[in-house]
Order: sequence, then C-alpha cells, then structure tokens
Amino acid sequence: MRGGRQLASLVLVAALLLAAAPRPARAHDAPQRAGAARLLSTHPSLGVIGRAPRFTLGDPEGRPVSLTDFAGRIVLLAFIYTSCPSACPLVTQRMAVLQRRLTAAGLFPSRVNFVSVTVDPDRDTTETLARYAKGFGADPRGWKFLRDASDALRPMLAAWDEWTKPLPAGEIDHPARLYLIDGAGRVREIYSLSLFDERQAFLDIRALLVQPGP
Amino acid sequence: MRRRTLSLALLAVIATASVAVAEVCLSPYVKRLAAPEKYLYVYSVDADAKDNDFLAVIDVNLASPGYGRVINTVDLGSAGNEPHHMGFTDDRTKIWAGTLLSKRLFILEVAADPAKPRIVKTIDDVSALTGFHGPHTYYALPGRMLLTFLSSADGAPPGGLAEFTNDGQLIRVFKNPDNAPYAYDVAVKPEINRMITSSFTPLRNYMKPLAQWDMKDGGNTMLVWDFKERKVIQTLVTDPVPLEVRWSLKPGATHGWTNSALGDSIWFFAQTKAGSFTAKKAADLGKGCLPADLRQSPDDRYLYVSCFMRSEIQAWDVARPDRPRLHDTVVPGVSPNMMHVTMDGKRMYVTNSLLSTMDYSGNFWVRLVHIGPDGRLKMDPFFDVDFTKLPTGPARAHDMLLY
Repeated sequence: MRGGRQLASLVLVAALLLAAAPRPARAHDAPQRAGAARLLSTHPSLGVIGRAPRFTLGDPEGRPVSLTDFAGRIVLLAFIYTSCPSACPLVTQRMAVLQRRLTAAGLFPSRVNFVSVTVDPDRDTTETLARYAKGFGADPRGWKFLRDASDALRPMLAAWDEWTKPLPAGEIDHPARLYLIDGAGRVREIYSLSLFDERQAFLDIRALLVQPGP
Repeated sequence: MRRRTLSLALLAVIATASVAVAEVCLSPYVKRLAAPEKYLYVYSVDADAKDNDFLAVIDVNLASPGYGRVINTVDLGSAGNEPHHMGFTDDRTKIWAGTLLSKRLFILEVAADPAKPRIVKTIDDVSALTGFHGPHTYYALPGRMLLTFLSSADGAPPGGLAEFTNDGQLIRVFKNPDNAPYAYDVAVKPEINRMITSSFTPLRNYMKPLAQWDMKDGGNTMLVWDFKERKVIQTLVTDPVPLEVRWSLKPGATHGWTNSALGDSIWFFAQTKAGSFTAKKAADLGKGCLPADLRQSPDDRYLYVSCFMRSEIQAWDVARPDRPRLHDTVVPGVSPNMMHVTMDGKRMYVTNSLLSTMDYSGNFWVRLVHIGPDGRLKMDPFFDVDFTKLPTGPARAHDMLLY
C-alpha cells in the first residue's frame, strides 16, 4: 500500500512537471533538481535577514494561531494555495519528507514547527485546508495550515512581501519563497520554492539549533 | 524496476523543462517572463553630465505603434553618477540599479506599470552603509539581493559582496580576501552549492581616462565560494580581468565560462570529479577585441562576445564546452558592449557604452541582432534607437533588462 502511494506520488510529480514543461517559468513553478552533483552544506552561514513580521491567523478549527506561539522553536513558513497545480503540492510534499526526518531526529514537533499559509482564502476553506493537510500527512501537533478572510489576510501578506496576482485558469502568481525563522523570531534563511531542497533545510535547521546566532 | 523507470522519466522531464524555460544570464532565482518581452529598460548616463542620468524605457512590443522608440524615461534626480548595471529582485517587481562614480543606489518598482517604473527608494551613500564603493552586479537571491562591489569605500581594493533585503536593508558584507582583492561579477549554481566571483579594477583606476589606467591594478582571479557557507574555497587564475561569470545552463552541468578583457580570451572553468574547480584558456578572441560582455544562448549552444575595441559581436559554438569554435560575427556599429538575449534565444539587444572613461565614440545607440535557428547573427535594419539625439542630448546606454 505504501509502495503504491509512493508510486502514485511519483506519477503525480512527473505529470505536474510534464504539464509545466512547455511554457516559460513563473515565480511559482515546480521545484527542479539538477543531476547527481548536488552538494549540501553542513555548516551554512545563516545571517540575520530581519525580524519576522508577526501575525495571527486561524487554523482549520478556527482557533487563532500567532507567530509568537512558536517562540523558542524554529519555524518553516510557506505560502501556498491548495489548487495550485505545480509548486505547492511538491513543496508541501518535500516539507512532509522534512517533517518525517525531523520527527525521526526527535526535533519535530518539540523544537521545529511548520506553518503553511494559504494565499487563496476564498477557495481554501478551513475544510479544504484540513483535507490538504491530512493528504500530506501533516502532523497537526507541529504543522499548522492557516487562513483568514481576504481583508484580514492582506496586511499579513503585505508584511511578508507576499503579493498575489490572479492568472488565467485559476492559478495565482505569488513570490515563490519559504522562510526559516529562528527561535528568537528572526528570519535566517529564505528558500526559493523552485529550488527548495529539504535535505539542505534539515542541515540549516540543525545548524540553527546548534548555534542560534547573535 | 518500474519505480526506477519512472524516476528516470522524471529526471528527463526536469531536464527538458529546465532547458525550455531558460532566460539567460539572470539569477536562477528571478521569476521568468511568461510571454515575449514588451519593454526594454536601458540604464543610461547623460553623456555630458549636464542633465540627470536616467532609466530609459523602450517599447519592444512588435504589436505596438510605439515599437522601437523610447516611450518613457525615469529621471534619477542627479547627474554624474555613472549608471552601470542593474538587476531584478527574485519576484521581478523591483529593479536595483547602482552607480560607479557616485554612491547612489536606486530601487525602482516596475510591476505596477512596467511602462512607467518609479523610484521607491534611494540609498544616497551605499559606501557608508557597506564599507564598499561601486556596486556592479545585482544578483537576486530568494527575498534578497546579493551585490558585488568593485572597491572599498576609499576606492582601493578590496572589493567584496553585500547582501540586502529586497527593500534595501543591509544584511551582511563579505570582503574579498587579501590575496584576491579585486571584484566584479557573481553567479551562483545552487544545485552544487557553488558561487563564483570574478575580478576587474577598483575606482581609483576606472575613474581616470583609459589612457591613464594602471593596467596592473586589476585582478586575474576567479573565486570559488561555498555558497551556503559564503566562504571562499578556491582561487582560480586566469588571463587579466575575467569579467562575466556564466554557468552552463544545462541541468547537472558544473562548468561555465568567463571573458578576459585584457587577455582577449574566453576561459572555461569546470568542476572535477574530486569537487574542486579548474580553469583553462578555451578560445583566443583575436588581439584588440577587449571582450566587454559575454552572453549565452538558452540552449547552451552558443556564447556571444562583444568586442568593444574591434566593433563586432562574435558567436562561439560551445557544443564542445571547453573548445569553443568561432561560428559567426556581426558588426552592429561602433564599440558594442552590453548584450541581452531574449528567453527564446531569437533576439539580442545591444548597447555601445562601456564606461564614460573608456568610451571612444560619441555615437550612442541601442540596436537589435536577430539570431537564426542556425545560430547566425543578423542586424535588424529598422531597430535603431539613437541615443545621441534625446531631448537631453547624447546619453551613454549601458545595461539592459526586459519586461
């Protein structure tokens, strides 16, 4: 059963990439990996990029969740929407892989948490987000899928420089970034959705845990 | 077995997709255009420094009645800055544009109305902020800009790198090492966690007329960095003044090229199986070329070199990457300099000012070269934007970006 699910995932990934191949890339395109030469860094230099803008949004049960709730823990923050045909499911899948790895290392959810914020609250209802989270095996103890009404969400997206632009066929263009936030609420790394590698993210998180920084 | 086949198919799809969407010579983190270009931004120096420097917007939409004309200029508010290079932020909403003789750096918003960019922030003294002078390359990282600087604040080496947030807050700086203090370009190959920087000459030299330059006051090194660690791990020696750093666009490729301005040569660099890099001279461009710019075709088949002194553009076939073969040449006019190849590889826009202290012609323009499927170059006889007859007089056109 597990093998079948993995096979289905691979087929999904291949199909999504096939669909994405003929057109020029957008900000929100699917992750890609080069050949076998990928080199990871065990000693990344993670400068303090800035203070993470605070927010309070609702989880699928309607409970308020604030960034400050995660104080002392490392947070990986992603902006997604569930009907996204390319990058979002792939990134969420890679976050799920990272979640498993962090869990195995005893770091999730006690020391590291994930937050996925929808940029499409009109279509991503609480029920939709809950289904999406469950589909990816998100551990609700440490991985929150958040939304709010459009008007309430807008200032939060603006604070994170997360503009949105509707595209034909229902897609949404938006900056393709994930943020790594340290326990003191500071942004320490920003990843590109299209070049996100959960293996390097794991090493970055481990480096932050060992050396929280200035 | 079935999974292995699927994985191989997936890799093939990724490779195909990567080649198909290549927009050359931009950071891989920059959002790509989803349609053919409509606007060409040209960063321009008022030639006699009596009027303000500016960013020109040229209509390059073939369907537009304004095609081939300057439709707007963004006044930078001051003269004598020596506008030079510029770069998009990762989300392509802003252009960072610095200067080589003043300390001003401009951030322009372009997404709201690409025909009418507007300055949203001016950093008046980038030297006070960073300890460097002369920002050269504006390289997008996710949510940040990585800038190279040609000099320290006093105009002497070492140059270095500075990282900013997209809205202009300084994050950190990295000085070039003592044994390789000259800086110029930067390019990152994220897949292998490597970054390479190159070397030019500092303010104390390039601020003087070319005849007075000390030709020994320049670099002949490229630095290989561990990108994630922001740490120099190797120094490569080349002919004098290696300028542009161009990684191969092929997925999985770990090689690239640079142009040595004073060596009149193309150098090939590549990662060995052991992980270190080697560099070797790969092509002789002919004496007196002074290759000012180096560009790539999206299919990674050709390199384009602008010979500033010999007034020609050369296309080099790099089917064998370490053995470029001269494929074609075209004469676009006097002193061609910056080139910008479109994402489909069919058009190349060209300007012809290098630096106010280096230009040897008073005839400034923006022209268009068509690139055939056979890689041959042909001048567009109709696209010729005359930068000597602007309302503010002659202007030196240098770097370009497309939207």
